[in-house]
Amino acid sequence: MVRFIPAPTSASPPHLEDQNTHGLLSGGGCAGEVELVDMLHKAEVSADLEKLFGCELHTDTHGGNAWVDPGSATRSICGCQFKNIRFRVFQDAGEVTLRARLVLQSGETLNSLPVVDREWRRFLSDLIHRSSESGVSLAPEGFLNRLIWGKVMPAPYCFARIGLARGKQMEGKCWLMLDSLFPQPNAGWLSGP
Amino acid sequence: MRRRSRRRGIVATHEVVAMSSSESQDESRALELSRQCVASKLPFQALPGDDDDLVETGLLDSMGWVDVLIGIESATDIRDFGNTWPEGRAKSIRALADMIREARRRVSEEKPGEGPAAGAQGGSQVSIGAWGYALGAVTVSADQIESECDVPPHKIRNGAGIRTLQVAAATEDELTLGQRAADAALEMAEMPAERIDFLVATSTTFLNLPSFAPSLHSRLLLRETGGALDVGGACVGLIYSLAVAKGLLRMATQGVALVVASEVHSRRLNAPRVPGEFRGLFGDGACAFVLTRATDRGGHAAVRLGDFVWGCSATFASSLSAKWGENSRLTVQFKGEQLAHAAVTQMDRILEILENKSRRARTEVDYFAFHQPNPRVVEILAEKANIPLERIPLPSATGGNLGSATCGISLCQALTDLRTRPNPSQPPLIFMAAVGPGLIWGGAFLD
Repeated sequence: MVRFIPAPTSASPPHLEDQNTHGLLSGGGCAGEVELVDMLHKAEVSADLEKLFGCELHTDTHGGNAWVDPGSATRSICGCQFKNIRFRVFQDAGEVTLRARLVLQSGETLNSLPVVDREWRRFLSDLIHRSSESGVSLAPEGFLNRLIWGKVMPAPYCFARIGLARGKQMEGKCWLMLDSLFPQPNAGWLSGP
Repeated sequence: MRRRSRRRGIVATHEVVAMSSSESQDESRALELSRQCVASKLPFQALPGDDDDLVETGLLDSMGWVDVLIGIESATDIRDFGNTWPEGRAKSIRALADMIREARRRVSEEKPGEGPAAGAQGGSQVSIGAWGYALGAVTVSADQIESECDVPPHKIRNGAGIRTLQVAAATEDELTLGQRAADAALEMAEMPAERIDFLVATSTTFLNLPSFAPSLHSRLLLRETGGALDVGGACVGLIYSLAVAKGLLRMATQGVALVVASEVHSRRLNAPRVPGEFRGLFGDGACAFVLTRATDRGGHAAVRLGDFVWGCSATFASSLSAKWGENSRLTVQFKGEQLAHAAVTQMDRILEILENKSRRARTEVDYFAFHQPNPRVVEILAEKANIPLERIPLPSATGGNLGSATCGISLCQALTDLRTRPNPSQPPLIFMAAVGPGLIWGGAFLD
C-alpha cells in the first residue's frame, strides 16, 4: 500500500478523476486481490451499459468496440461484474493483441474490448513464449477460452474495470478498454488442467 | 469453317467477358467493403490509396488495424479474418480486398454439394454430436415438499414417486442453468461457441423481454451473425426445438446448431393459488444439444436425428390450464388423474407411430427418453406399453418434473450411457415422446 498527495491535473473531459501524485510513500502492508476487488466494488460500479459512463455507447461496426462522446461522459472509469467472457487473440509478426467480449449483469454485451490489464497481457505473452519454447503448437485463444475461462468463471468475483482511452477526443470519440480484469491470472494456470 | 470458327470465337469472347465481369464485380465489392471499414477508423482524414500500407504510414496503429479486421469479419462473416496476417503482406486496402476474395473462394471450394439444394433433397443427415445438462443446486426432500406444499404425507414420495426435487438456488435462473448445460455440451463437442450458427431455445418459465433465446445467445457470447429462435410447446418444447433445428440445418448453408431447454418452475409456481399437489411435482433444470449436419459421425457424434411426429388433441385441454390474472396472479387448473390418463394414452400412441416411422419395434429400442410428469406416470406407461423400466432414464425421481428439459435430460443420460458401451454392434435406437398442455404431443426417433 502507498500513501500519496494528490494534485489536480489539467485533464480534459471525461478524464476528470485523474490526478497527479506527489510524495509517494510506502504505507506498509499490502491488500490482497479479494480485498482490492471488495474496495473496487465500493467505487463506481454499473450493471448496465448506459450507467458505465453516464451516457450512450456507440459502435461503428457490428461486433466492434464501443466509444462514447467525451463531452457526454460523466466519468472515465467504471467497474462491472460480468456473467461471461470470451477472449480473442490477434497475432501479427511478433505483435500480439488481446481483446475480450463481456456480458454484463444486465445481459448486454461489450464487444472487442482491448485488454490493457498489464497482468493479463503479461500472462498471454508468457503463454505464447512457453508455447514457442516447448515447440508445442498451442492456439492461445483456445487455451484462454477453455482452460483459463474454466479458472475465471467459477471465481467468487468476476469483476472488470472498463476505462476510456485518451487520444481520440479530438475525433469526438473515447474508445472503451478493459483496464483491469479479476480474477487476475495465476502463473500456475500455464501448466494446464 | 471460317464462319463456325468465328462463331465459336464470339461465344468464347462472350464467356471470357462474362467471367471477367463477374470477377471484377467481386473485386470491386471487396474493395468497397475494405474502404468502408478503413474509413470508419479514419473519420477526419481522406481515404488513403488502395495500395498504401495503413500501419507503416502511421495512419493506423495496431489497435486500429485489429478494429478494421474485426469490422470486415463482422460484415462478411469470414471467421478469424486476417488473423494471423501473412508475414510480409502489405496492410493495405487492396490486400484486405484480396483476402476477402480468397476467403470466399476457399469457403465455396470447401462445401461442394452442401447448401440449400442438397438439404432440400434430404441429402444431409443431422446428428446430435454432444450434450449436457444442469439441475438446480438445492435439493429438497419429499418430506419437505409435502410440508411446504401442504399435501398429505407420502403423497409426493409414494403417490408420485418423487424422492427429491432439485430447485434453483438464489443465484440461479433459466439463463445460468441454460449456460451451464450449453457450456457442458460445447466442452464435450470441443467446439468454441463461435462455431454455433444458430441457437434454438425453449423455456416456459422465462417470461422476460428480451425473450429466452436472445438472452441466452448474449449470455453465451455467440456470434452476432448467429441466429436466436424461441420455440414454445411447454413440455414438448425440446422435441419441437430439435425438429426446428434439424429443419433449419437441412435448409441452410450453415452447419451447427445449439438447442437448449431451461425451466425454473420453483419461482413461477410459488404462488398462493397454485395447488400444492401440482407445485410439489416440479423442479428446475436445463439441457443442451449440439447438432451438426454431417454424414460422418466421427468424434463424439452419437446419434442421427430421425423423423418427428406431432399433434394436438384438444379433448383433454382442460386437464391442465394456467392463467395470469390481475396483479400477476397465476391460477392453475389441474385435473391430475385425467391428465395422467391422457398422458399415458397419448405417449403409448406416439410409440406406435414411431414404430411405424422407424420400421423398428419397441423391443429393439435401447432407451426411451420420455417427458415425465412424475415417475409413477412413467411406471404406468411402461406397463401399458410393455417396455422395461430400466430402459427409461428417470431424472424426475430425484429432480421432479423439469418441464421441457425432462425428456432432454433423460436423453442426455441415455446418450451418456450408450457412450460407455464397449464396441456396440449396431447404431443405438432411442425413442422420444412428450405431451404438454393443450394437449399437444410430439415424438422422435434417433438412430
